[in-house]
Amino acid sequence: MARDQVNSFLQATVYGLLQGGLLALIAVGFSLVWGVMNVVNLAHGAFVILGAYVGWELNTKLGWDPFLAMFVAAAVLFVLGYVLQRWLINLVINGPIFITLLLTFGLDLLIVQGMNIAFSGNYRSIHTSYASTGLDLGSIRVPVGRLLAFGVAVLLTIALVLLVTRTRIGTSIMATGMDRGAARLMGIRARHVYALTFGIAAALAAVAGTMVGTVGTFNPASAGAYTLLSFVIAVLGGLGNMYGALVGGLVIGLVEAWAGLYLPGTWVNALAFLVLVLVLIVRPSGLVGRAYYAARVEV
Amino acid sequence: MPGVTAAETERDEPSAAAPPGESRWRRYVPWGLGILLLLAMLGLQSQLYVGQERTVSAIFMFVALAQGWNLIGGFTGYACFGQVVFFGLGGYTTAVAMTHWGMNFWPMLLISGVVAALFGALIGLPLLRLKGHYFAIATLGVAEGMREVVTNLTDLTGGGSGITIPTVGEEATTTYLGNDGFYLLFLGLAAFSVLVGGLVSRNKFGFALRAINQDEEAAGSMGINTTRAKVAAFSLSGFVTGLVGATYAFQQAVIFPERLFDVDITVLMVVMVVIGGSGTVLGPLLGAVVLQFLSEYLRQNFTSAHTFILGAIIIVAVVLLPQGAVNYVREARRTGNYSLLANVRRYRL
Repeated sequence: MARDQVNSFLQATVYGLLQGGLLALIAVGFSLVWGVMNVVNLAHGAFVILGAYVGWELNTKLGWDPFLAMFVAAAVLFVLGYVLQRWLINLVINGPIFITLLLTFGLDLLIVQGMNIAFSGNYRSIHTSYASTGLDLGSIRVPVGRLLAFGVAVLLTIALVLLVTRTRIGTSIMATGMDRGAARLMGIRARHVYALTFGIAAALAAVAGTMVGTVGTFNPASAGAYTLLSFVIAVLGGLGNMYGALVGGLVIGLVEAWAGLYLPGTWVNALAFLVLVLVLIVRPSGLVGRAYYAARVEV
Repeated sequence: MPGVTAAETERDEPSAAAPPGESRWRRYVPWGLGILLLLAMLGLQSQLYVGQERTVSAIFMFVALAQGWNLIGGFTGYACFGQVVFFGLGGYTTAVAMTHWGMNFWPMLLISGVVAALFGALIGLPLLRLKGHYFAIATLGVAEGMREVVTNLTDLTGGGSGITIPTVGEEATTTYLGNDGFYLLFLGLAAFSVLVGGLVSRNKFGFALRAINQDEEAAGSMGINTTRAKVAAFSLSGFVTGLVGATYAFQQAVIFPERLFDVDITVLMVVMVVIGGSGTVLGPLLGAVVLQFLSEYLRQNFTSAHTFILGAIIIVAVVLLPQGAVNYVREARRTGNYSLLANVRRYRL
């Protein structure tokens, strides 16, 4: 009996970690946009689902493997994100926070309803021959699809950190985030950098979406849940902190997996928000955040 | 509506600047117009079909909700994205008390408002220390969390499958108001919320809130107890929203957590206030009427694409009128510059 309990705990832990990695990939772009531009992108979940549909289309129509289709999805969403930021969101970027919140909410309505019209509200998933086969580690079963998705998520998060810290583009993104005026004086084109940042975030969301479609199901209505999770994870990790998003994603993945095991009903959903509100009250700069990001957030 | 706009535009100007005789009657113009509007709406009722009556009731409901949000989001400048928690809390307080404890609707209406106000004070104390997006998200978290709590208190609330307020037979504690009754009740709530907004915008409390909106530290150093003012504003906006929630619950009779804590209701309040003009009394009123009317029109004429069109309209409105219609007209009248293009440039990068 005790052995069964240990096993189910271990199984939930493994599942939570794998799911957490995927959640981290979903949230990392959201966190980047928030940290650099002070924009909370309510359409982020819609980008995730749009990416999933691009992957699904390529998979069903052309028979592409999702791990190949994710590159196309990323490219499509990068262009979309770049265009949206460059010629739409940049128009109101200096306004009060309601303005950008409302604008991205309008985008969310547009994209989600557009997907409803184009793809219907039915649940979809991207089929592969291997995603649901399991690796047996002792008594624990690890689905290959989830393991691969986890690998992609962690690799991309690390790649993003390297991009931001080691490359010219990355440092100009960070510089613009820290002090836009000074960055512009150094010859950085802020409009272009903002658009690039938003494009990168959308591309990461698209990859995450393709992975979501590979390991589970999705429909246009699930966009909202991913936006909310991105919020929670970005706040937990500290804004604009990419390793923070990874930590936040893993924490939420584990908390939800364990709570699903031990709590009755849907109390598990309340738990994520309880954690969120507590962290905000006690430690507004996030679990691994620095005071810098808390200080620069203004009304 | 140009007459109303003109009268409202004068409202914020200090009365000392105008000649005393003129300022005296000008001050009462908005009140007079408000009463005329109220009488017109009372007269309108007999001209409406049942369906139209419901639509207009919904408009009144959103006027009250938008005015409620405006107190915290507009005057005080705290972007509350969990306002629906007061709506849901008010609704469930009434529904549970009427169903399980045999309470009459009318005292419960008031009690629901008070419960929502107390809850606002309780969560306001810790949460109103947060600023900007953090406050927005913390309140959103409270609303989502409360929905889950209500969903899981199955014995009391019926959980996800909902709760039914008895409206007929012996179990009914209060005679169901019917379409006509709810029209009047929602009209009353809308009038009450506009009255609250109008009073707040003119008295010292309202000026304290505006000062906090502009610069909280400066407001504090001018002797405003910012914590008390913010919590009071949050509580008052919770009270108004709670009243509306209680009425909505009784009108629907069958209520679900998914509907009463729907994040879209919060977003609608925000959209209405921002598009109309936040921090004004006329703005939320206009925003609610126009947007709810438009939304209903689109729903009836473009069944599948109505949210799509609504999203596009929100985007265009936010880009063209980021400060809201009423504030735009006021500024344009003051500066003589009506160019929308110049208006778009103000927040551009």
